[in-house]
This record gives sequence, C-alpha cells and structure tokens, in this order.
Amino acid sequence: METFFTTSDKVEHIIKSFNLTKTLFVSSIIIGEPYTGKKSLARHLFPDAFLVSGKNQEAVKEALENYDELIISDFEKLSNPSSLDFDNKRIIATANYLGNATLIDELFAFIYTMPSLKERAEDVEYLKALFMKEACETLMIEESRVDMHSLPLNLSMNSKSLKKSIYLDIVKLSMDEEEIQEVIYQYILKNLDGNDGYRKYLGLYEKPLIEAGLKKYGSQLQLSQILGINRNTLRKKIHEQHID
Amino acid sequence: MNNTLIDFEPFVEWDNNPFILFSDQGKILYLNNAAEILFGYVSQKELYNIALSYAPQNFGYRSTTLSLAYDTFNFHSITVGYENEEQISLRLYNTPRIQTSHKLETDKFITTDINILLEANIALFKTKNTNPMRLLTDQDIPAFKIDQNNFSKLLRKSLDAFRASDSIDISLKLLIGQHVMIEGKKESLIQLNILANGRYADTDNEIRSLADKSQIKCLLKEQSIKLEVPLIQ
Repeated sequence: METFFTTSDKVEHIIKSFNLTKTLFVSSIIIGEPYTGKKSLARHLFPDAFLVSGKNQEAVKEALENYDELIISDFEKLSNPSSLDFDNKRIIATANYLGNATLIDELFAFIYTMPSLKERAEDVEYLKALFMKEACETLMIEESRVDMHSLPLNLSMNSKSLKKSIYLDIVKLSMDEEEIQEVIYQYILKNLDGNDGYRKYLGLYEKPLIEAGLKKYGSQLQLSQILGINRNTLRKKIHEQHID
Repeated sequence: MNNTLIDFEPFVEWDNNPFILFSDQGKILYLNNAAEILFGYVSQKELYNIALSYAPQNFGYRSTTLSLAYDTFNFHSITVGYENEEQISLRLYNTPRIQTSHKLETDKFITTDINILLEANIALFKTKNTNPMRLLTDQDIPAFKIDQNNFSKLLRKSLDAFRASDSIDISLKLLIGQHVMIEGKKESLIQLNILANGRYADTDNEIRSLADKSQIKCLLKEQSIKLEVPLIQ
C-alpha cells in the first residue's frame, strides 16, 4: 500500500472527504500541479482500485465497462472526456490542470484542488527528510555526513525537483578530492577539442576557487593572501572568469 | 337522501389542504393537520387577516385565486366562508408540485446515509474556504435511496453559493407530517437548510436543474437555500 504523509489542513480535508465517500458511488477529481502527490494520494486511499491513464481513451472506456472503482490519472490528456459515463461508479481522477471547467463541473461531484508543495511547508520538511534518507541509502552515504539544513530547496517542479536537487546536493557534498578529479576527468575527456583548451578549461578550477574564496573571506586582499598570489593577478582572474 | 348524520371532521382533519376555523375575535376554533404544520411558518394573525380580506360580503362561501407562499408551502387559491357572525373558515389550496418530465430511475439509486454525503461535502467546502460553519443534523434520519453523484453535485453547488458568507448555518431535519408522492408511493421528506447573511446566486439555475433531476424541491432565497429531499425507500 502506498503511504501518504501530510500535515496540511487542506490536504487533510481532502482525505477526510475521500474517507467519507469511500463506500459511495461518486465521481471525484484531484486537480493540482505535477508531482504534488495526487496519484499517490489516490493509490493510498484506494489501494485496490484499477488504475488507468487518461493518455489512452480506449483503455479508459474499457476499464469503465469492467470496473466499478477506477482511478483515472492524467485526466486532462483524455481526448474526449465528455463521452464517458460515470453513473454509479466510484471514479477518482487526477489532473495536472482544470481544462474545460464546465465539463469537469458536470462530470464530477467532488472537485478537489491539491495545494502545491510551496503551500505545504511541513510536508516539504517531511519529504526532504524522506528523500535524504532514501538518497543516502541509495548512494550508500552515511547520513551523518549530510547537513540537512544546508540542502537548498528546489520546489519549481514540486516533489520531482525537490528529489532531484536533494540527490544532486548529497552527491556533491559527499564527494572527495579524488571523485571531483574523476568528474572533471570524465568531462574533459568528453569535451576537449579546439586550440585553446588550456585557457578554456582552466575555468573549471579557477572559477569555483575564486567564487568560494570570495564568499569565505569577503575581500580580494585577504583572498589574494590566502591564495598566495598577487592582488592584481587575482583581480585579472576575476575579470577573466566574469565573476561579479 | 340518507338522513344519517355524517361526521365530516376526519375528512377535513386529514385533508392535505390547510383548513382553519376562526372565531370572530381571530382565535382558532379548529385547525386540521395540514394547517397545524402551516402555522409553523405563518402567524395566526396574518391568516385571519387574509380570511377577513377575502370574505364574501354576505353569509356564504367565496373562492379567490391568488398566489400565497409561506416557506415551502405554496397555495394557488383560498375559500373563505361563514354561516353566522361567530365563525369564519379559511381553506387554502396547495399548488401541485411540478411534475418532472423525466422518470426517476429509482432502481439505479443507492441506499445512502445523507449525513455522510453532507459531511463529505462540508469537508470539500473547507478545502477551499474558511468560513465559520455550524451544523445541526439529525443522525437518526434513516438511509434512503438517492443518486449519490447527482446529489453530491447539488450539495457542492449549494454550499458554493455561500463561499463568501460570514457564517453558515446548516440544518438537516425530518419534516414531520409532510409527504410527497413519488411513483405512486408516499415518501417522507427531509429538509436541508443552509442559511447565512447572504449568498451568491450565480449558479441558481444549475442548482434548480440538479434538484429537479432527483425530484428535490429547492427554495432559493436571498440568504438561504432549502432543499426538500424525498426519503425514497
């Protein structure tokens, strides 16, 4: 059974309403941005329901003939939703956007709007911890090596972008010198050509070095001392690497 | 003609049309069952004044066609009569319910606990609105047959009309003594009343049409929506 976690009031009301109508033959739709957990919620509440995607109109029609309880995902992708008959069926549909409002209004008794992750701060914390644990397990990295609070949040694509950014950040944070060199090696092996290679790829090393140094030490004077190079040389390099 | 005295009182008592006998002081001397229910919605004085206004000039009976509405009661005409100076009678004639053109497919209806549907719709409403809400319901209302999907749509639309209202009072009760004939069977009625300081009327036509599909009588007022739902068994 799919698990679903939330502390959002809005989502809890959706769950309450679904739990009350679980045994009734009514049609419901959950509309919300991609990767907000619409399908997970439907699967969690109706683990035995047959699942069909709206990408295939014929498959949906066939499923409607054979099942009384049905989850239709990607409802917005159906080519001809008005031809469907939901009479005395338990339908749970999910859609990334509303589409034809009048039609949705006619077809569905319960129309829910799933809030995006940006509106669910507590849920983000939960997912972050979940993805972090999962990533550490998958990448075989000790959790203690990762500082959860330092991980940046990318919610532009809800849980998809959150998960991806956490995996990437954990990989980045856990890399040692050798692995970083290996990454650069692979990159250069793939891309090196032309006649100005040295200057072109020096930036791979110089740019992060100067950027991180400036962030850490604040002034160019101090950084030039730390790096053991002349202040003018540092200024020249800042200019060359287009660093603000 | 048989001279045996016939007692007409039970016939009047059980007539669906309200019948009231007033004294010359406006006191009620007799009222039948239907009138008793009606008095829950209109004052004695108001009906007495109507009786006086439409009384015939001399002893006898006079029927007048007029349109009266008290809450969910609608009357199309009245008869006022008196045979002496002490008593005056008023009889009100119920306007027949408009018969829906389509036949109810009651065999497709599913026995449902209306409280569950109502609560689910309130939960749905709360996902979008934060208006304070009070619910007074009767948990003893028996389950009855209804088109769950259509009725849910009706509830959703009715509640949505109150999306900007300050506080919403919802009550659900059995209408004691009131019945409706559906497909030749006498069915009890329940009334769902949603009341607030005001409401939107943008979807009133859709509410009417959804109510009509389930033979639900709806009363759409400026501040309230009342739905009279037949308890089809």
